[in-house]
Amino acid sequence: MSTLARKTKKAKFSTNRITALDIFIFIVLTLGALAILIPFWNVIMISFATQREYAENPLLMWPKEPTLNSYKALFADGSIGSGYWNTIKLMAVGLPLSMFLTVSMAYGLSRPKFPGKKPIFFLVLFTMIFNGGIVPLYLVMKDLHLTGSLWSVILAGSFSVFNMIIMMNYFQGLPESLMESARLDGAGEWRILFSVVLPLAAPIMATIALFYGVAFWNSWYDAMVFLRKADQLPLQNVLRAIIVESQTNASNATTIGQGGGAESFSTGMKMAAVFVTIVPIMAFFPMLQKHFAKGVLTGAIKT
Amino acid sequence: MKPATISPGSSKGEESKFKRMFVDIWKYRMTYTLLIPGLIWLILFAYMPMAGLSLAFKHFRANDGIWGSEFIGLENFEYLFRDPAFAAAVWRTLYVNIIKLFITFPFPILLALLLNELRMRRYKKVLQTAFTFPHFLSWIIVSGIIINVLAYDGFVNSLLSLVGLPTVNFLGSEQNFYPMIILTDIWKSTGWGAIVFMAAISGIDQEQYEAAQIDGATRIQQMFRVTLPNIMPTVTIMFILSVGGLMSSGFDQIFNLANAATQNVSQVLDVYIYRVTFQSSSDFGFSSAVSLFRSIVNMVLLLLADRAAKWMGGDGLFR
Repeated sequence: MSTLARKTKKAKFSTNRITALDIFIFIVLTLGALAILIPFWNVIMISFATQREYAENPLLMWPKEPTLNSYKALFADGSIGSGYWNTIKLMAVGLPLSMFLTVSMAYGLSRPKFPGKKPIFFLVLFTMIFNGGIVPLYLVMKDLHLTGSLWSVILAGSFSVFNMIIMMNYFQGLPESLMESARLDGAGEWRILFSVVLPLAAPIMATIALFYGVAFWNSWYDAMVFLRKADQLPLQNVLRAIIVESQTNASNATTIGQGGGAESFSTGMKMAAVFVTIVPIMAFFPMLQKHFAKGVLTGAIKT
Repeated sequence: MKPATISPGSSKGEESKFKRMFVDIWKYRMTYTLLIPGLIWLILFAYMPMAGLSLAFKHFRANDGIWGSEFIGLENFEYLFRDPAFAAAVWRTLYVNIIKLFITFPFPILLALLLNELRMRRYKKVLQTAFTFPHFLSWIIVSGIIINVLAYDGFVNSLLSLVGLPTVNFLGSEQNFYPMIILTDIWKSTGWGAIVFMAAISGIDQEQYEAAQIDGATRIQQMFRVTLPNIMPTVTIMFILSVGGLMSSGFDQIFNLANAATQNVSQVLDVYIYRVTFQSSSDFGFSSAVSLFRSIVNMVLLLLADRAAKWMGGDGLFR
């Protein structure tokens, strides 16, 4: 709201002439945006191109004979499908769990006072400053017999103190009188949380859910460490195997794009895998952007 | 808290204090149940691993587990500090992150200033979308994109040879590795980093601009004399905070952009930890010693950053 007021004010003061400065800024920013977009465009176009066309012209801006062969080859291999499925499982279980853990603790800690609040809060914060790292976490997971199961990845990623604090700050901003009156009506804290607080917290719930969602979607390190079998791996790890690891292996070989003969175009397949992994983020990005543009997160980013 | 009448025996006062405490705790029992799920998670997956770092002082044997392994004092650390690869990894981490910090840091500020001066509002939205998007992709995806575009026969090299310039082995040479790390970091995170500064800019009091305009200041002058000084506190805080990550940031990026040719220059501390733990014959006692070292250094850096940020008048890390 304040930005809008500012803009109208500014428009009144600044002249409407287009100056050299405007042109300069326009050019710099456009070039910057192109530097971001062209690589994406290139990836997408290669994924739809034939090997012959790509070999003739890697600058490919629009394939003359678009084909879905790379996608067919990618899905025929099956690993991307199982990666997708594992990531969906990860999110289907991980998201509700993480929201439950985050919301309950955030509301608990947002209560103005209760005995032991300070030490408990300190213990929570301390995990942000000091952590054991992956090695003992791996051993703990092993002790719990969770390694080799998707549960290890779900549990390891299902709580973030950072997200919890953002949510706690939001809860602290809600009027205490609402909860007090519910309390007088005999509602317990859990009831208050679910029927009074959460209905008022839709924007922050959406934001935090999107945060966890993106984090789950992008997570790979836990899975790389905790999981052993290839068919358990989430999408990112499958993508990594397709792109990064094959690159390492292929660095000895002379030709990357021609392995496998005529029918498989490995660069095209790799790019198809990249695109398939980006698409869901692209689909949710307008939502994400709406939320962080709203300023919900400006305080969060600062911390 | 003080009772109006002085109680004769202090023991009785103590007793009622205790009693009151328990009554209080009982009164808030519901609140504690709210905390239990989160606390269980923290105990299992944050505090147990922390305690597991005690392995750093033990000789790990799989059969004995974390808690039963034999205590050997500082032996693991003696090995660790004698390992030249460890010292190299530590210095490499600091080196990469410090040059990265100094070179990449100004970009988000610059972007925020330019976007602020852009007068086409629709286009500004479009640009912001483009600039922030890469932040939400994993480094695996970004590596896939970058490896493609910068490959030997990729987009950039084709463009270079088209205009008659020599092609460059961007990702397969040790000497180009750090510049590529910096470049890709700028590519991925400038847009996101700019958001904080955009927010700071939108909080600037408009009267300052009006006053500057009445004094005849040009837009460039306004940018440097009004906008920049006003966001300087944010700039300082952000800078200090990124110092807190000097030992820990960049693993995903380096790990995924590295390949066989850049094996040596890509071994930062976290990569070293990964390799000694999961790739060579693993000695978890030794890896725990490295992890403990890393965690302590991280903590010290974070606390120093927090102190410095507070000293500069900012919120610090934890409000």
